[in-house]
Amino acid sequence: MPIKLLYTLLFMLMALAPAASFAEQAILFQPVVSIYADAEGQGLLNPEGVACSDNTLIIADTGNNRLLQYMVKVDTVEFASQIKVSQLTNPIRVQVNSQGEIFALDGKNRRIVRLKKDGQFAGNLDLKGVPPDTGATIVPRSFKIDQEDNIFVLDIFSGRVIVLNPQGDYLRQIPFPKEFGFFSDLAVDRGGSVYLIDSANSMVYSAAKEATDFLPLSKSLKEYMNFPTCITTDNRGVLYVTDQNGGSIILLGLDGSFRGRKAGFGWNEGLLNYPAALCINSAGHAFVADRDNNRVQVFR
Amino acid sequence: MRWRPDFIIPFLALILCLGGQSLTHAEGKFNLKPGAKGKNCLNCHDGFEEILKNPFVHSPVKSWDCVGCHNPHAASHDKFLDADPKDICVRCHTKVFPDNPVSTHKVAADGNCVNCHDPHAAKFKFNLLKGGSELCSECHKALGERIAAVQFKHAPVEKGCVNCHDPHASAAAGKLLKDNVPGLCIKCHDTEKINFQKKHMNYPMAGTRCTACHNPHGSNQRGLLYDKVHNPFANRKCNQCHEGPSSPTPLKLKAGGFELCRGCHSNMINETLAQNRLHWPLLDRNGCLNCHNPHASDQKGLLAGPIMDVCGKCHVDTINKLKTVKSKHPPVEEGTCMACHLAHSSNQGLLLNKPSVIDICGECHDWQKHSTHVIGDEAKDPRNPNLTVTCQSCHRAHGTDADKMLLSPTQTEMCTKCHKEFKR
Repeated sequence: MPIKLLYTLLFMLMALAPAASFAEQAILFQPVVSIYADAEGQGLLNPEGVACSDNTLIIADTGNNRLLQYMVKVDTVEFASQIKVSQLTNPIRVQVNSQGEIFALDGKNRRIVRLKKDGQFAGNLDLKGVPPDTGATIVPRSFKIDQEDNIFVLDIFSGRVIVLNPQGDYLRQIPFPKEFGFFSDLAVDRGGSVYLIDSANSMVYSAAKEATDFLPLSKSLKEYMNFPTCITTDNRGVLYVTDQNGGSIILLGLDGSFRGRKAGFGWNEGLLNYPAALCINSAGHAFVADRDNNRVQVFR
Repeated sequence: MRWRPDFIIPFLALILCLGGQSLTHAEGKFNLKPGAKGKNCLNCHDGFEEILKNPFVHSPVKSWDCVGCHNPHAASHDKFLDADPKDICVRCHTKVFPDNPVSTHKVAADGNCVNCHDPHAAKFKFNLLKGGSELCSECHKALGERIAAVQFKHAPVEKGCVNCHDPHASAAAGKLLKDNVPGLCIKCHDTEKINFQKKHMNYPMAGTRCTACHNPHGSNQRGLLYDKVHNPFANRKCNQCHEGPSSPTPLKLKAGGFELCRGCHSNMINETLAQNRLHWPLLDRNGCLNCHNPHASDQKGLLAGPIMDVCGKCHVDTINKLKTVKSKHPPVEEGTCMACHLAHSSNQGLLLNKPSVIDICGECHDWQKHSTHVIGDEAKDPRNPNLTVTCQSCHRAHGTDADKMLLSPTQTEMCTKCHKEFKR
């Protein structure tokens, strides 16, 4: 009898463990602070990109054609500097590597601009040695940098993800799957898996490290989201998808299973109006580019 | 007691006789007297005799088996039907639908058989209410009118829709087609014929989708091309976009995505790319072909379909929502997305066609004359220091479930979102 009881308890523990660990790890999306303006009081305008580390936040203030740098403290952020260079006219995505170098995608000119830690222009990302799949044109819709500073470029023109080393030299490419709607963003997790978000079909695709093709991670998630445009991971087993038209953040397991819906459409703090991008740091902060509310919200 | 074998056979014969007799009695489930079948019904339903004079009579009616479908005493269904009208026909007509249909006719799948067939008798074969394509045009009115009006007609269409479509369901293709395209077309149009090849500039057409260029229902253009034809295609300059017909890959495009179209439409594409915000599918591997048909179309601007279908291919959430919301915005309902948005690019968010939402709304709504609420650059939104009050602060342009496309269920609830002092 005591053995049976032990087995029962063990079974219950095993059954509840994943839920408990998920609840412990996933961000609850409680509002911490909202960023509305720079130190001079100039308001943000349609910010579409955010990049973060444990102590830095960089905002692509798209409507003002500039980047803004902030220092991240425990429960607050402090303005650090504005980066405005003539070579970057319409920043829509931004990333920062482990050296503090900043990369920003210029949506108008469709190129990735490289900036030094202090914001000085350091050249365009050349994408050296990339095989010309459909001619010489490359259209980066988005990009991400992994923990080894490799750069993953979502090239929608040739339908592929191009992987570059930190210097911008071509390493490999992963073609898009045969059937899909439209890919707006990609994510790379700590294990090297690459994820794509299909905005039109609300589907997630994934390719394990070194895989040569993408496979669907989920069926259509239309039931849970309207028009997802950004995907990221917290490296703790959760994928976060911004539902642009639904004004929400959708949480998914690494198997594509639906784990929850956070925030909602609105103007007040804690609510979102066409969220465009999301970044999560290891301290458990989530930074959301709340595009049509002209602000960046920090959650934890 | 032991059974004697010489009794067994007569005993079994007796059992069979009795059993057979009881079966004879059960033949008519209502125990009708001999000769009292359907003819009895005509005693009251006297107008029915006229119906029966029609050349095509439903076989149960012909054999006076009225109770095959009706219950003469009481029923749970209209017209004393013995079962739900949606189920009653398929009790006999079990093979109307294939096992794995690719497409089904909604009216048939819903069991509304009487929309097309008279269950008793009719002038037309298969008990159809009307003959030929006339019946189909009852619902497919616009298509019927178009077929009647076009200058160049497709012979099979003239003979009737069922030449190409199965009226119930198709196991072979979409749109109830009896075979896929081009399989259906090449049954009549031999792609190996010299004349066919010459018409198609010697490009291999056997595996291509004929309906990408030709309107199978007839057209005002020669060759049944869709009414709007792309110039290079009309001028037979296929190699302007494709490799030559003698190439190993003759249908391959000379460039990818928008780069192909840029050759002729350079001004338009340069203007598009000069804007801050792009409609990204324009720059993917399909480029312009995401929305346009490069050969011919029956839509303005060579669109690949009606605009709601084209936009709805990706923005299905927006289009689906329109169908369910109570309060709809007429331009959206009518599919004039371009009343507010630009299709290719814009300097405004959401690809809006003007910098100010208020100006866009003002195109139709002369708000200054009948709105009392302050809106515009000077009116700060109390909920967010970076926003000013616009039409979209209270209304949702694509429609909502509240009156006047308000964002809250009631006007009071909407107003007190900002005017909190009045909240009770």
